[in-house]
Amino acid sequence: MNNVNDRSRNIGPFIPESDDDMIICRCEEISKGEVRKAVHDGMYTVTEIRRYLRCGMGLCQGQTCSKTVKRLVAKECGVSMDTIEPATSRAPMRPVAMMVLGNEIGGE
Amino acid sequence: MKRYDLIIVGAGPSGLSAAIEAAKHGLTVVVFDENHKPGGQLFKQIHKFFGSKEHMAKIRGFNIGEELLKEASAVGVNVKLNATVTGMYGNKEIVVQTENCVEHFKADSIIIATGAAENVVTFDGWTLPGVMGAGAAQTMMNLHGIKPGKRVLMLGSGNVGLVVSFQLLQAGCDVVALVDAAPKIGGYGVHASKIARCGVPFYLSHTILKAEGEKFVTGVVIGEVDDKFNVIKGTEKHFDVDTICLAVGLSPMSQLLKMAGCEMEDNAQKGGQVPIVNEYGETSVEGIFAVGDVSGIEEASSAMIEGRMAGVCAAEYLGYCNKDEMVKRHTKLEDDLESLREGMFAPKNKGKNIELTEEGIPVSKSLLKKGYISEDEVESFPGVTHKKGLHPVIECTQNIPCNPCQDACKFNCIHIGEKLTSLPVVNEKSDCTGCGMCVAACSGQAIFLVNEEYDEENATVTLPYEFLPLPKKLEKGVALDRSGNVVCEAEVVDIRSTKVFDKTNLLTIKVPKNMAMSARFYKNLDTQV
Repeated sequence: MNNVNDRSRNIGPFIPESDDDMIICRCEEISKGEVRKAVHDGMYTVTEIRRYLRCGMGLCQGQTCSKTVKRLVAKECGVSMDTIEPATSRAPMRPVAMMVLGNEIGGE
Repeated sequence: MKRYDLIIVGAGPSGLSAAIEAAKHGLTVVVFDENHKPGGQLFKQIHKFFGSKEHMAKIRGFNIGEELLKEASAVGVNVKLNATVTGMYGNKEIVVQTENCVEHFKADSIIIATGAAENVVTFDGWTLPGVMGAGAAQTMMNLHGIKPGKRVLMLGSGNVGLVVSFQLLQAGCDVVALVDAAPKIGGYGVHASKIARCGVPFYLSHTILKAEGEKFVTGVVIGEVDDKFNVIKGTEKHFDVDTICLAVGLSPMSQLLKMAGCEMEDNAQKGGQVPIVNEYGETSVEGIFAVGDVSGIEEASSAMIEGRMAGVCAAEYLGYCNKDEMVKRHTKLEDDLESLREGMFAPKNKGKNIELTEEGIPVSKSLLKKGYISEDEVESFPGVTHKKGLHPVIECTQNIPCNPCQDACKFNCIHIGEKLTSLPVVNEKSDCTGCGMCVAACSGQAIFLVNEEYDEENATVTLPYEFLPLPKKLEKGVALDRSGNVVCEAEVVDIRSTKVFDKTNLLTIKVPKNMAMSARFYKNLDTQV
């Protein structure tokens, strides 16, 4: 385990900021304050934040907000951005209508 | 399940190039693309490309796109459009979503050429309609013929921000300011100069504080930042705008590679999450390649070469050509690629502070801060000379890999030499005939033909002009200097448009003698606002 994921670290208290109500993930309408609070709730990776808040799981699949979320998590944890584990990539990479998903050709 | 020799994901410049190269070697190739038209970003690029003849320099991006499509169809490449690849697995199986089904395909080799997505920055009001990526604005203008807005503020001074700003001006929008948090302009100086002389002001070390408006953008406030990027109180400036364009970099769309188990790295220099690839573009999973922006943000010319490299390597991997043949082809392509990765803006020089050109001339500070060369600085460059009669003045002052001007002049007035990045030198002994081929060939629109003694009182300046409506012969307007300030009255002496100029019109204006080295743009105050 790298120390970025070390939950016993003290990252200090959540301090409200004036722009906490700014939307970060447009698809799921998640605000900056919600992302920052999630870090203080113990979500230190982008994957956890996604599961916790659903940011990055909407229509654009994180195309727009993933870098911003990563930056916020890094800042809250006081580490550099490249030490934050990126989100998992899994199919389907783009939104698929259930009707289309149900019509599968060539799968096993 | 249908099988192919090679599946390529993405029909942009690198994907199509890879497909052509592989199909030429006999592979059955299919290219999937989620868009309804092939070509990726190429068909939005209405400007002339840089580079050398081998890199298709001085050809406009969309024409390069047409060439690629023709070549691809001639060698039997199958391009499937409206086909979104939503998944990829390590056993080289992909899932493609089309209109009404998801279909699985397998291949012996896969080349991922999915490109990149635009970054955003967040500020108060960034979700208002009217805030958009520069690429989105380019799509609206150049693909759909829609003006993104009337008054635009551009954030980001890299080549995307500069090129799109110029295209916004061409589309008839007002670009009220070009803003960048960095202390100097990130893109080519020649691109910056094109918009500076139209009067666009540059605000370096500035950032957007907020977008104003209830339902859509009605204004923007910017502020100056210190060297730690903190906003300096009291420096706020307001602009009335209806559009804010963001040109703040690209992120590789590398999710498919990660999904398939390719080893990835977080590389800020390359734009984010990229696969680790070897010299052939092959990822850690044998037979899976990554080319173009998805393996590191660069530009279309290098993407096309990377595509060809992976195409020939895939052919060798599947036994369609032998190793010697592959290495020979690869070495040639590698040389082409290396020549593009030279100069001040080369990937290896990213973030470096370069103060001298390769020739040892101090780089113009004014160019980096304000977007134009100052009148005293311009005299120190080898493309700027003075003589009696007509002669070219080449205001190309940064080492970038580009040389069409040298080939354009059949009278040996212009010399660059072997090294693609050398600054063009004007040979004072050769006689300029005024043909204008160099002016039209310069992708940076940095060449002017100057006659310092046209008559007793006047000089003429011939400049590249890519705006409509075209000025008419003998009409009177004003001349603007490099900063976009009106400096004197000007009369249109000539306007030339021929097929070889490829839509770069040559506008010759008459100005007072002392303005020969100042007048660099023309405006008709009656027809242009």
